[in-house]
Amino acid sequence: MPLTIKYLKLLGIPNLGGIIKMEAISKKPLQLNPIKLSQPMGAMLCFLGIKNCMPLMHGAQGCASFSKVFFTRHFNDPIAVQTTAVNDITAVIDGGDYAISESIKNITQKVKPDLVGLFTTGLTETKGDDIKGASKLVEDIQQMVYVNTPDFEGSIESGFSKSIEAIIQQLVLPSTETDTNKALIIPNVNLKPIEVEKIKDTISLFGYEVFSLPDLSESLDGHLGLKQGALTSGGISVEDIKKLATSSLVFTIGKSVEKCGEKILEKNPNIKLFHFDSLGGLEQSDKFFKILCKVKNISQPHPSIVRWRKRHQDALLDTLFVIGSTSVVIALEPDQAISVANTIIEAGAHIKAIVTTHRNDLLDEIPCDNLLIGDFEDVESFLHESDLVISNFHAERLAIKHKKALLVRGYPDFESLGNQLKNDILYEGSSYLLFELANLINHHKLGVENEH
Amino acid sequence: MVNKKLIRELLSESDCSHNKTKKSSCDKPKPGATSGGCAFEGAQISLFPFADVIHLVHSPATCIGASWETRQTLTSHKGENNTVMGYTTDVNTNDIIFGGDKKLEVSIDYIVEHKNPKGIFVYETCVTAMIGDDMDNVCGRMEKKHGIPIIVIHSPGFVGGKNLGSRLGGESVLHQLIGTREPQQIHPFGINLIGEYNVTGDMWQYTPLLEKIGIKVISTLAGDGRIENIQMAHTAKLNVIVCAKSLISLTRKMQEQYQIPYISISFYGKRDTSNAIRSIVNAFGDEALTARAEALIAEEEAKLEEILIPYRKILEGKKAILNTGGNKTWSIASALQDIGVDVVATSVQKATLEDKEICAQYVKILITDPGTQQAQLIDEHKIDILLAGGRSLYTAIKKKVAFVDVNQEKKVSYGAYSGLVNLAIDVANAVNNKVFKVVGNPEPWGNN
Repeated sequence: MPLTIKYLKLLGIPNLGGIIKMEAISKKPLQLNPIKLSQPMGAMLCFLGIKNCMPLMHGAQGCASFSKVFFTRHFNDPIAVQTTAVNDITAVIDGGDYAISESIKNITQKVKPDLVGLFTTGLTETKGDDIKGASKLVEDIQQMVYVNTPDFEGSIESGFSKSIEAIIQQLVLPSTETDTNKALIIPNVNLKPIEVEKIKDTISLFGYEVFSLPDLSESLDGHLGLKQGALTSGGISVEDIKKLATSSLVFTIGKSVEKCGEKILEKNPNIKLFHFDSLGGLEQSDKFFKILCKVKNISQPHPSIVRWRKRHQDALLDTLFVIGSTSVVIALEPDQAISVANTIIEAGAHIKAIVTTHRNDLLDEIPCDNLLIGDFEDVESFLHESDLVISNFHAERLAIKHKKALLVRGYPDFESLGNQLKNDILYEGSSYLLFELANLINHHKLGVENEH
Repeated sequence: MVNKKLIRELLSESDCSHNKTKKSSCDKPKPGATSGGCAFEGAQISLFPFADVIHLVHSPATCIGASWETRQTLTSHKGENNTVMGYTTDVNTNDIIFGGDKKLEVSIDYIVEHKNPKGIFVYETCVTAMIGDDMDNVCGRMEKKHGIPIIVIHSPGFVGGKNLGSRLGGESVLHQLIGTREPQQIHPFGINLIGEYNVTGDMWQYTPLLEKIGIKVISTLAGDGRIENIQMAHTAKLNVIVCAKSLISLTRKMQEQYQIPYISISFYGKRDTSNAIRSIVNAFGDEALTARAEALIAEEEAKLEEILIPYRKILEGKKAILNTGGNKTWSIASALQDIGVDVVATSVQKATLEDKEICAQYVKILITDPGTQQAQLIDEHKIDILLAGGRSLYTAIKKKVAFVDVNQEKKVSYGAYSGLVNLAIDVANAVNNKVFKVVGNPEPWGNN
């Protein structure tokens, strides 16, 4: 809770009508149509951004199967994953060693992964398996990273960031040297493949060779390969990961991955680390470029960046009439909710409610009428007084029912093709987002008018 | 509690044809070499289509968080459609330590108070089985308290695969629901549709035809299902298993318990649909019914042929290879033949013994190793269309043949007579699609 709110509360001063608000947790004992996705799913996505990797989910076969189908439908691409297939016998008598060694044996019989990303589920955390020990047992035949990600705590964001931390701790070699031309970005789970690529490309305009950990822009960007392999088709290579501590510059993007920055500093204290809560909208983008210019000691970035800033200014002015008269409900993971909200508030959007999956202090600073940790039943309760909802595929039924416009963002998006190529960040992507939103609202209004 | 004896019994179902030669049909999944869903998913597949009961999953986030609203199991239920809803107790660390019973109890209270459903199905999952929540006790008490059926399905994922989970779902329905309600009168030609989930409305393609000739669908497990109907399933005269084999234990037990015979049929394509209708009426042995069925079949087949004429012009003589699994290995083959496609070969790598035998009746070449044979056969027989799963797309692109993904979730029904038209439209569109000619073109740079 921000201090201001705490003091106001102590002094008995009432909440100032939406300007300062407090986050509430839905009082239901259960989740009715959850927005939340699980921690192991975040871990899986992280390992899918590493080249020639096999994510290995330590649990019953269903966890991996559900998640595989989920991401296959979202990305419209094959998804690599395997399961330790814990059964009723190994659930009781095995401490994890057997299921994990067997898995590695069976995987390496068919393919030669550069890395196996081992992560747990609720089942194997409840029985308390020692995955570190089990990984050590197989380290002679297979390079491993292990991470604890029970699905009874956290969410997709924390599963993703915990895995990044584990990769840094277990793979990155310590160093004291830095390569002045080498930069690393650590994206949060909500950044789409094309957004990761855009950030990399943008930083490379400042003369850097840029890596991303993980790098979904080279694996789940929707590209036609030569064949469908059993492992991840692209991403950052294990060799490159090992040498990441020589990066001179590291950017973490999103609250959920802020701690990953500390982990990389432990590998090399000479790294210059910068954290950004989001890269959505004019002000956040300005901060980003200001720092890049300062670090490089230049007065002006590449002309295309200068041009895109002007275009974004124009986009804000072009869309302000439409977006400025729109009341929006956002139901997304915290980091994405913050990014999207920042971007559209700059064009005047009124945020009726943010319904999210777990606590994130930054949300307190966003001007909105209601802030809630909840589910889609809660989303529905706010829809009556709003025009548009920004959420995942599951909001579609609600939007149709209540005749509201829908902008699909977040996981899952089972319907829109090419969602991995939607860019919502920095000057360019933020402009696209504003235009898409404004056009959507206009089309929706037209549709509703024609119904009468 | 998970019942070990029941699971063993379900895994060695005596009515499965392969169990006559093999000791255990459904082997334990192999670590690191397993695909496919768990028992909970199986239970979900077989029972979630009941739209008028609430499906509460006692689990942490993954089980239902990743799987709700993913199946196109349509319903005609007028009230709130529970097939597309995700209810979960969202078990957290505290519940793991102190037990999730209490949370389950207040969740059921909440559901009854706010939603007033006709019944609640409560699904046990890995974590809640592991921490030992006494769900039978909680749900028994809650059933008395609220006066509606509250059914526990013991389907933790670690007990086995999807197939077993469907069986476990069937067992719960058999023991806790079937026979608990009596109809006003018993229909002479009443049937239950078992293993039909009405995906994309498949069932609605043929149930009107059955009703037209005087057959009454008493209940379904569970496509477009209603809890009150399944409670009266014991009054049907015939169990009809549609495609899916997993619920054969249920029909065998219903035969023993209620003397209801069962047949297994498929509604894919023209011939299978006609044969399916004939199998049903033959089971009743009523002459007038049989006559009505024959008249209907003649009429529907004639109507279908008329509609198919333009597609036949495109598809007649086109050569195809089919690479899929299970009953699709022959049901789609026969449907393709019905629209004039020459099915040169079908892959039986993922087919049961029984499926292989049926395949041989429809198709000459049975592929056992699609990895190598598929590409060879395309060249040898100058194949026009490859119908397979996504992995084979690369073969199709390389060979520049049309491709239809038969494993992808379909949006329209391919079931019965009218569904065959949808299949014809999709295959005809693929054959004529330029994409397969251009997408694999060589890069314009380099040495090409």
